[in-house]
Amino acid sequence: MNSTQNLLSRRMVLGGGLGLAALGLAGCAPTSKTTAAGSGWKQFSGTTINFISENTAPSAAIAANTKPFEDLTGIKVNITQMALENLVQKVKLDMSGGTSQYHVVYADPYQVLAPLSQGLTDLNQFVNDKKYPPVEKGLSDFIALDAAGRFEDKSKLYALPYDCPTMIWMYRKDLFDKYQSKMQQDLGFDPTPSGKITWEQYYQIADWFNKNAKSDVPYGTGQQAKQHDSLQCDFSNVLWAYGADYFDVPDIGTIGTQKPGKATLTTPEALEAAKFYDKLLKIAHPSSNTWDWDGLGNAFAAGQVAMCPNWHEYAASNEASLPGKVGYSILPTGPKRSANNWGGTGIGINANAKGNEQGAAWLFVNWATSPNTQVMTLKSAKGGGTPTRTSVYDMPEVKKAEVRPSDMPNMLTAAAVLEAWKPENIGLRPKVATWNQLDTIVYTNLSKMIAGTQDPTTTMQTMASQFDKVNG
Amino acid sequence: MPEKLVVGTLGSRVPTTGQARRKRRGPSFELRMMLPALLVLALITVVPFLMLIAMSFAKVRLLGGVSLSVNGLENWANVLTDAATWHSWGVTLEFFVLAVGMEMIVGTVLALILNSLRRGQSVAFSLVLLPMFLAPITVGLLGNFLLDPTIGLYAWVMQSLHLVGPGQSVLGSQSTAMLAVATLDMWEWAPLVALIVLAGLTSVSPSVLEAASVDGAGYLRTLFSIVIPTILPVLLVALLVRSMDAVRYYDIVHITTGGGPANSTWVISLQLNEKIQATSIDGVTTLIGQSAVIGITMLAFTVIIANLFVRVLDRRGLTR
Repeated sequence: MNSTQNLLSRRMVLGGGLGLAALGLAGCAPTSKTTAAGSGWKQFSGTTINFISENTAPSAAIAANTKPFEDLTGIKVNITQMALENLVQKVKLDMSGGTSQYHVVYADPYQVLAPLSQGLTDLNQFVNDKKYPPVEKGLSDFIALDAAGRFEDKSKLYALPYDCPTMIWMYRKDLFDKYQSKMQQDLGFDPTPSGKITWEQYYQIADWFNKNAKSDVPYGTGQQAKQHDSLQCDFSNVLWAYGADYFDVPDIGTIGTQKPGKATLTTPEALEAAKFYDKLLKIAHPSSNTWDWDGLGNAFAAGQVAMCPNWHEYAASNEASLPGKVGYSILPTGPKRSANNWGGTGIGINANAKGNEQGAAWLFVNWATSPNTQVMTLKSAKGGGTPTRTSVYDMPEVKKAEVRPSDMPNMLTAAAVLEAWKPENIGLRPKVATWNQLDTIVYTNLSKMIAGTQDPTTTMQTMASQFDKVNG
Repeated sequence: MPEKLVVGTLGSRVPTTGQARRKRRGPSFELRMMLPALLVLALITVVPFLMLIAMSFAKVRLLGGVSLSVNGLENWANVLTDAATWHSWGVTLEFFVLAVGMEMIVGTVLALILNSLRRGQSVAFSLVLLPMFLAPITVGLLGNFLLDPTIGLYAWVMQSLHLVGPGQSVLGSQSTAMLAVATLDMWEWAPLVALIVLAGLTSVSPSVLEAASVDGAGYLRTLFSIVIPTILPVLLVALLVRSMDAVRYYDIVHITTGGGPANSTWVISLQLNEKIQATSIDGVTTLIGQSAVIGITMLAFTVIIANLFVRVLDRRGLTR
């Protein structure tokens, strides 16, 4: 026994040494602590795995710098990136065919994890197996582990949180500074973006920009209101802020359920939310109904709107286009609260993957979600990540990046995002297996509403009845 | 001519010694040589088609491999009574008329212009054909950029000409979105029509054109009385090819409008995709069966269209 322990110990030392050597070769490799953990990283050397991901900033950063992982483990990783809807189809085909063309899967909680959870491996088997390197700082270090990684059964873990873009209020700080006193005088309140501003006041600010600042910015607000998933995301912030929700089921946003019951979209609060959103879109940039999150991000960066709700991962591109001119806050408050749509995602393992592929996939999942890899993605010139580890936000170099000049521009949103993640402010979509159908129902009906072919009340009633038909 | 017919008839009725031998020995040499290719063809066309039909009458479970359980006519009833599906058929017909109509007109005009060029015809021809070689998804992305009200060139031109309001997008308005996506499709596929028509124009006899000219016929009279009637068979072939393709239209509309605004560009292939996209693999689903039904109805529509055109061609004696 002792000799075995010694042997393992020597292996650990050798493994750690090799890993450190690789780290030195890789230059700015992110895995110093991961490598120092030592044992188990090389056990699947020579294996090749495929990772399918949405085309997001962290994946772009990792794809551009997989060498540290390959040096550490000897595992070759191929990364395929695409739009989320295409990813969902490919993963579905892969899982239903009983194959594992993709071993590591970007498991969006709503479009992949909930409808396809049975096609994903329970990661607890790796977390609890001593032959694998431990999860650095433990599972408790992850933000929103339940929402990103579990479905229905709290004892099972299907994914580790990988990114966590969250919708916040982005605004042109330079224009707000310029017009602050005049706006305050005209509107009768301090327009500085914060959680104290109501959605009604947001509307008034947008309208004020439309009428008084055309020389600086064409429109006050822009929304991601294309007939697309983005429209549902944008509307949900308002829905929750007004005190309404899609269903009345405890933990439906975190653990989720197969049986959400009847929709709750015809409550007075829901109707008020729809009426307000309809009103807001009437003064928003007229191209709002052609923009998804990318379109809105580009328009904001191009100076088309003074403010907008968008995912905080766009901070990096904002900083590149409008350096020093953009400010961030949690979204306005409604009659009930400020609600900030959380769009985090985990990465999991295809249950069809065999033997070494499963182990190698786990090593990649462990490495890609480790604190040091997340710092690497934050610094990446490819756009910056959105860390899912509490410890990352506590690192001195990351804290330092929260103010300009920052080499991690996404961290400029830290104050707003950390506020947005508080339980009273976070907005979680219902995690149900039928979400893909429900999502289409929401954004199709909303698109009709903002096009003027359906009034807000009919819109919500139609949505509710279609929800109930889908969920039986 | 009559002799040939007699020979042909006799030849087909009276088997030679060789043919009789082949009959005795089983499949002919030619058939045996073609058999592998026929089997592959059957595997990639007939088997999926049969599977599609089976799925349309079944509930499907995906996890761990596809398995079917009988669901009777429920999928068909669901699709045929679904207002959203009928709406998307209506939108598809609207697109069909707009896009194919524009492609036929623009393609024919392009072919006539190219045919009339005395210099640089091959260079102009190559340039005209370029859009056809782009993937439809690229055309969609290009359309998004060109029509983007913030950075788009076409959007800027239209705003400068006051065809659209400031900051307004043709893809964001119910009244113009369909026209915009149909125009993008026309931009890509009118060159194909031009190519086909240009081939047809070579069959117009120069001596007939000269005679018309000597008789004092103007350009339009010559065009409508001589050129168009002569190239009618190829025009119908172009129409047939584009019609069959237009029913399957997906990529450009998916990229540009996503079916919006307010479902105004929600064509039938988006409806099919939406049902597939919504499928979960955790349980037994009827959505795949409904998608299969939509797929079969699309196929049936295409067959009807094709038969319609072939019948028109046949009636005019143009298929012989």
